[in-house]
Amino acid sequence: MPPKAPKGEYIETDTGNKISRRSQIHGTQHIILGGKTVIQADAVIRGDLYRSSSSSSSSTNPSTTSTSDPSASAPSAPTPSVAITIGRYSYISRQAILRPPSRLHRGVYSFYPLKIGDHVFVGERAVVEAATVGNHVHIGKEAVIGSMAILKDFAYVLDGAVVAPGMVVPSWCVVGGAPARIVGEVGEGYGVEGAEGGLARERYRVVGR
Amino acid sequence: MSRPFPYAYISCPCANTPVPDPSKKRRSRESPQKSNPDQPKPLLPIDDEDEQTFDPRSPRANFSLYPPEQLLYCEDCHQIKCPRCITEEIVCWYCPNCLFETPSSMVRSEGNRCARNCFNCPSCTAPLAVNTLENVVTGGTSQQGPWVLSCGYCMWSTLDIGIKFDKPTNIRTQLSKMTEATPVRSRQMSRTFGELKSPLSTYSSIDEQFPPPGETKPAEDSPDQPNIPLNPDARFNALKNFYKNQISATSSSPTDPLGMDFGSGFSSPGALNRIMSLYTSSSRLSSLYGGANKKPKTRPPVMREALTASEGLKVPAPDAEDAVIQRIAGPDCGWDGLASLEQRSFQSPDVRFVEDLLPLPVLLRTKRSKRCKSCKHILVKPELKPQSTRFRIRLIALSYIPLPTLRPLNPSPHATSAVPAGSTATTTTTTTTTNLDALSPLRPVQLLLTLKNHMFDPVRVTLATPSVTPGRVASKVTILCPQFDIGANSDVWDEALQGAAAPTASTTSTSTSTTATTTAAATAAAAAAATDPRGSRSGGLGMYEKVAEAGKVWDKGRNWTTVVLEVVPGTLPGGVRRQQQQQQLQKPKKPSVVRGFDLDNTNTNTNTKSDSDSDNDSDSDSSGDVPALDWSGQASDPRQQLQPDEDVLEIPVFVRMEWDSENQIDNEHAVGRPSADTVKRELAYWMVLGVGRIGRVL
Repeated sequence: MPPKAPKGEYIETDTGNKISRRSQIHGTQHIILGGKTVIQADAVIRGDLYRSSSSSSSSTNPSTTSTSDPSASAPSAPTPSVAITIGRYSYISRQAILRPPSRLHRGVYSFYPLKIGDHVFVGERAVVEAATVGNHVHIGKEAVIGSMAILKDFAYVLDGAVVAPGMVVPSWCVVGGAPARIVGEVGEGYGVEGAEGGLARERYRVVGR
Repeated sequence: MSRPFPYAYISCPCANTPVPDPSKKRRSRESPQKSNPDQPKPLLPIDDEDEQTFDPRSPRANFSLYPPEQLLYCEDCHQIKCPRCITEEIVCWYCPNCLFETPSSMVRSEGNRCARNCFNCPSCTAPLAVNTLENVVTGGTSQQGPWVLSCGYCMWSTLDIGIKFDKPTNIRTQLSKMTEATPVRSRQMSRTFGELKSPLSTYSSIDEQFPPPGETKPAEDSPDQPNIPLNPDARFNALKNFYKNQISATSSSPTDPLGMDFGSGFSSPGALNRIMSLYTSSSRLSSLYGGANKKPKTRPPVMREALTASEGLKVPAPDAEDAVIQRIAGPDCGWDGLASLEQRSFQSPDVRFVEDLLPLPVLLRTKRSKRCKSCKHILVKPELKPQSTRFRIRLIALSYIPLPTLRPLNPSPHATSAVPAGSTATTTTTTTTTNLDALSPLRPVQLLLTLKNHMFDPVRVTLATPSVTPGRVASKVTILCPQFDIGANSDVWDEALQGAAAPTASTTSTSTSTTATTTAAATAAAAAAATDPRGSRSGGLGMYEKVAEAGKVWDKGRNWTTVVLEVVPGTLPGGVRRQQQQQQLQKPKKPSVVRGFDLDNTNTNTNTKSDSDSDNDSDSDSSGDVPALDWSGQASDPRQQLQPDEDVLEIPVFVRMEWDSENQIDNEHAVGRPSADTVKRELAYWMVLGVGRIGRVL
């Protein structure tokens, strides 16, 4: 990567994240990016919707991989709880929305962390409110992942699918439709580097050039 | 799942061998040649079969084209294996919702549905969540309310059918208890639902209480209470049990000579025996199947049908239909009260109304291992645990065949200026990216085809393509460098240590005739490639500042090679018809053969619009291997409409790869031979490159 281009479209962090200047990231101190993650323009990442109650004790290593802007003030919590975690080589397309899941639990409405694994692709205008998104997951464009849904590794969400809240998509399964159902399985070679499902590095490489 | 352009599909060779004949399998494609040097080459018979170009539009092509990641590779047959040439075996059953494994014995006894808390919404099929109704926080422990299943998608809940659960666990048993036993619902409210409760269902199991055939309970046989129906499950069990008993009663005890025709049951081999004997009266088969059939045919004892409700017979009430109709017509039902066909298809057949819908326990899914159909070797064996994504064995085709990727070569302004006489290229400079969803007809497009080798041996690849794509929309295709090498997928460190020693044994044998339907341009380009095999390794040039040259690979890396395809999309029928008609008026049609591609002129882009018509003529004339339609009669073609997806530009490419592989265990007997450590291998298949969609306008 050449030395910082003066005013490129993307900000590249130390860990190699490429974040569009036109993306809307709220609550950066509650977001952990694993590195080499691409966030495109107009993507909305709601790190401000973190779990406010003190019962969450899972705020882990915020130091090394955190992209939290040093200039951003960390006002309230001494140990900021993590709202959104994104792994390596994940790709958030334009106008996608990542929002931590929420639910009413014991009379209290609270947010839960959203964990996104490695090599995940989130398509354009997709809305992700999942609890967990595994590795190598593909979320098609304009798909909606309902609150507290779980997408296991190598799950494939077709374009425009509406994954119902709380749904679990097992590994290697293809879901589609509204509400989403399991409509098939991806082949065994899915996720092999360079083939379908394994294009994350290539996707990352071409961004911002 | 259709893919966005560009894509590459690979045709499994099994489509060419329709009969699963092991000898035929061996004949095809791949052969370790060292084993039979004196015999005629086993590759020979496929030559005539390969004379015909693979047509991606033929109806059969649908059944052989697969995306590369779906294909497997059998190391024993040395053959690509598609989902049609494998068999599957279930490794484990699991619920896709809770991801718990269900033992197969339980699947057999209880059916393939999750026995836990997993349900699907009967109204919209989304998964149901267990929710509490009351959220009373009383001290430390809270929320002891009744529980319901509710759908987060359509807001359906079991309250709609009047069901609440006492505890949040074991919903399935609670539900089945409710639907069978408890009189929660009024009968006149929902007749079919009320029928679910029956006096019989208080029995723990129908099977135990079932009366022996012939002796019926008088209480239920009596006509004055004809419908004490069972719920559907119990009725099914009753019927099943009844017929089982009927069979065992009417068929033989072993001492009974009369029942021999039935064997021990209908599903037993004896039944097959009986069926076979219906058609073959000859003595050959009956001697084959034992002497039982030689006995004089006797009339089998007559089985009776189920007669009573306890046997599973259901006699609907005489006014049942009327009641349903009246209810449908009633004011409180309406359209929304009726269950849709889709909803009913998952419910018991009696369900007609929305308020009869029951939550559906989630269907289980399976993990399956896969075997080669011809040699029974295991190709894929996943880990047993449902959650695991790993495989114990996974022989995917991508590890063996080069992975094709296609992308358009977008000419930079610099490059297009270098194209001589690029009359059409001037416009492409304005549009920097090629729109693959609307390729302009007759305007050449250059595409980069990258083949990436995943084997540890260097591979030499020969590509061949028909000069004109089959079908009515004839696009011209040239592979500028149809023969090239791909380096081995060696360790990155190996290459670093070796320095500049490139992993190519350069093209020594150009005599390898390109199979099938290579165009003249392609073969000559191959010869050109042989003379200068590595001339086009990218120097310090930028990626897109080069100009594609015939006979040279575009770019090359450790284990991949990129070549350039030049495509001139054809015109759609009726697409540019008006212009052509005008041109036909202006100039006489040339019947002479005009080669679409010339060797010296790699830039065939100089075809202007005016001679496109003659080009089409010439292509159908010159390429005899393509079952071309009569393009000269295009204007008078009655079928001017485009067939669905006829405008998709798909290029069939024949790939033939050769490599020297390490000798494997199956060649142990050939130890004494000097060249025993490497075996020349060869694999050939068709692939289809989906380039894009041809637009209507020029």
